[in-house]
Amino acid sequence: MDRNKIGKWLKSPGKMGQKYSLHALYFCTGCGIIEIPPTITARWDAERFGVIPVATPRQANLFLITGYVSVKTLRYIIRSYEQMPEPKFTVGFGSCPINGGMYWDSYNTIKHLDKYIPIDGWIAGCMPRPEAVFIAVTHLWTLIDKGMANGYKKYRDNYQYYRKNQEQVLGKLEWPPLFSIKN
Amino acid sequence: MRELELYFGPQHLGMVGNFSITLNVEGDRIIKATANPGFLHRGFEKLMEQRTWIQNFPLVCRINVVEPDHMELMYAMAVEKLAGIEIPERAQYIRSIYLELARVGSHLFGLWAYANMLGFDTVANWAMYHRDLILDLFEELTGGRVYHIYIWPGGVRRDFPEGFKDKIISTLHAIGSCVPDYDNTFFNNRIFYKRAKNIGKITHEEAIKMGAVGQVLRATGMKQDIRKIEPYAAYDQVEWEVPTRTDGDAYSRIWVVRDEMIESVHMIFKLLDKMPQGEAYTKIPNPFKWKIPGNETYVRCESSRGELGLYLVSNGEDKPYRAHFRTPSYNHGLTILEKALINESIADVGNIMISLYITAPEIDR
Amino acid sequence: MNNTGISLKEILLSSFDDIQAEVTDEQRLTVNCKKDSVVTVLSSLKNRGYNHLALISCLDWIKDNKLELIYILTSYTEESEKGKLNILVKTKIAREKAELHTVTSIFENAEPYERELHELYGIHFTGHPRLIPLFLEREYKIPPFRKDFDTKKYVEDVFDQVPFIKDKKGKK
Repeated sequence: MDRNKIGKWLKSPGKMGQKYSLHALYFCTGCGIIEIPPTITARWDAERFGVIPVATPRQANLFLITGYVSVKTLRYIIRSYEQMPEPKFTVGFGSCPINGGMYWDSYNTIKHLDKYIPIDGWIAGCMPRPEAVFIAVTHLWTLIDKGMANGYKKYRDNYQYYRKNQEQVLGKLEWPPLFSIKN
Repeated sequence: MRELELYFGPQHLGMVGNFSITLNVEGDRIIKATANPGFLHRGFEKLMEQRTWIQNFPLVCRINVVEPDHMELMYAMAVEKLAGIEIPERAQYIRSIYLELARVGSHLFGLWAYANMLGFDTVANWAMYHRDLILDLFEELTGGRVYHIYIWPGGVRRDFPEGFKDKIISTLHAIGSCVPDYDNTFFNNRIFYKRAKNIGKITHEEAIKMGAVGQVLRATGMKQDIRKIEPYAAYDQVEWEVPTRTDGDAYSRIWVVRDEMIESVHMIFKLLDKMPQGEAYTKIPNPFKWKIPGNETYVRCESSRGELGLYLVSNGEDKPYRAHFRTPSYNHGLTILEKALINESIADVGNIMISLYITAPEIDR
Repeated sequence: MNNTGISLKEILLSSFDDIQAEVTDEQRLTVNCKKDSVVTVLSSLKNRGYNHLALISCLDWIKDNKLELIYILTSYTEESEKGKLNILVKTKIAREKAELHTVTSIFENAEPYERELHELYGIHFTGHPRLIPLFLEREYKIPPFRKDFDTKKYVEDVFDQVPFIKDKKGKK
C-alpha cells in the first residue's frame, strides 16, 4: 500500500480519504448474496481494505450489484442509486450483469445492466471468490487515483438517454427526473 | 391512533435475500402483513424445457443458493426413475455423507443470519468461519465452493480422493469441539431467551392446516421426517433419531436446528465406518442423444428447510416436458408468515422471518 | 404394491361413479376425474386423513387443446404405509376460456398456488379471495408458461432493442 509515499498523501488528501473508506450499501440483489457474508466476516476480513456494510443509501459510497437483476429489482436499484450522494462507484458482481449470463433467454431478467445505470468495473465468475472482490477493490483504487472512475459524471452528463432507456423497459416511472433534461 | 403503511423492503439491514413485506401498523403493533415475492423470478421451469436433460444440471442448482445439493439430488433421482437406472451401493453412501455435510453448512448459514439480526456478531463470525471450513472440503472434492455439480444420474461424478476421509474427520472434530462454546455463549444465553421465547408462536393444529414442513413442524411436537418415511440414499442403514420440541415458538425452532446439526455430525461418523468399497457410478448413454421414454413421476426428499418435491413429466424427447419444484419456503413465506406476524411489534419482524427459515430464491424460482 | 393404496382405490371407485383410478408400484395412486367433481373428491380424501396439499401443477397439452391440472396430496402421519402414499388427482379443462372452482375452502394453503397459475397460465379460479399477480409486474399477451410463448423472440423484441449509451466521443 501507499505507506511510504507521504508526498502523495499530502498532495491529494481527498482522494486518499475516498479510496480507503469505501462504504458498501447492504442490498442483497441476487445469487451473489452467498459470497458476501464470508467476505465481511472474520476469515476474509474486508474491513482491512476499508469496506464495511452500511444501512442506508445516504451513507454509502460503493454499490455492489451481486448477481442477476430482474425487472422488479431494477426499479429499486435505480432509486437506491439516485439517493446515494456523489462521488459514488458501482461494481457489477458475477457474470449475469455483464451480458445476461446463464439466464440469457429468460423473459424477466435484464441482459446488459450498462444501459440503465453506469458501471465502473466488472468481476467475472459464478460466484467470484472473496479474493476476487479484494482484487477488484485494489483496481478501483488505481482508477480513482488516475481520475478514471467517473461513472457518476457520465450519469449526470447523459441523463436524458439513461432515463429514456429506463422508461422503455419499466414503463412509467413514479419518481421525477433527478437532473433537469434539456431538449 | 392512526394507521401507517410501512415497507420492510428489499434494501434493509435485517433482510437476508431479496424479499419484501408490506406492514400496516398502529403505533408499534402490526395489524396486517402482506408478502411481496417476485424479485428473483427467472422463469426456471420455462428455461428447463428448452435445454436437454444433462444441460439442466447447472441450472437446477441455482434455485436455492444457500444449499444447492438437494436440488441436484431431486433432479437426478427423478431422471433415474424415468429412465430406469440403478445406482451402486457405494454411491448411495457417498451421497448421504455429501448431503449431511451440506445440511450442516446450511444450518450454520442460518445461524449467521439469526445471530446477525439479533446483533450478536461474535457468534455470527464463528458460524461463518466454521461454514468456510466445510466449503474447503467441498472445494477439494468438486472444484467449486458454492455450486458443485456432483450428483449425477447413475451415482456421483467421481470417487473420494486419497486421504479425504481423514480430512472429513478432522474438520468435524474441529467444529464439534466448539459446541460447548456455542452453548455457553448463545444457546443458553438469557438475552436470547428473552428475545425469542413466545415470539411467533404456532400451534400444532395451525401448522397442519397451513401446510408447514421441516423445523417449523418439528418444533410443534410432530416427528415428521422424509428420511424416515421414504428412505432414499443410505439413511436406512444407520440408526439415528429425529429431534423435536413442543412449544412452537422461535426459541424451539432454533433449538431444533442445533439438535439437528449434532445429529448430522454423528450420522456422518457412522456412515464413514460402514461405507463399502466398489464403483461410484454407472455409465449413462451418450448425453448428446439421450431420449427418455414418456412418463411422469413425483419424488421427495428432506432438505435443510423441510420437504422438497419434484414433479417431472417426459414426452419421449431429449428435453423435459414439464418440471415443477415444490419448495418448503413457499408455504412458510406466503401463508404462515402473514398469520404469525399479527400482533407482534416491529422489532420482531426479522426475528420471526429468519426463524421460519425462509429463503427468497426458493419462493420465486 | 401399497396395500393402503389398493384399499383406498376400491373405496373411491365405489363411492364416485365417473372417475378412474390406478396404483403404480412407486406408491403412487392416480385419480382422473371431471372438473366439476374435483372439490368433492378432494374433501373426501381429506376426511380420510390425507390432509397435506403438497402441490398444484399444470400441464399444457397444446396438441389436444387442453390444460391439465394436477393436485398432489400426502398425509401427515406416523404410520409408515399411509405416509408413503402420494395421491395425484388430475382433471382436464379447455384451453380457450380456462375456468375452475377454487379449493381454498378445503385447503387453506392452496391460495398462493392458484394465484401463480392464474398469472402464468391464464386460468381463472372462481371464488378465490385474492386473485392478484404474485411474481410478474407487467402484462403479457400470451401467458408466459404456455407452449406458444417464445422466450427468445420476446427477449429480442423487448430487451435487445434498447440502445447502449455512448459518450460524447462515441465510446460506450
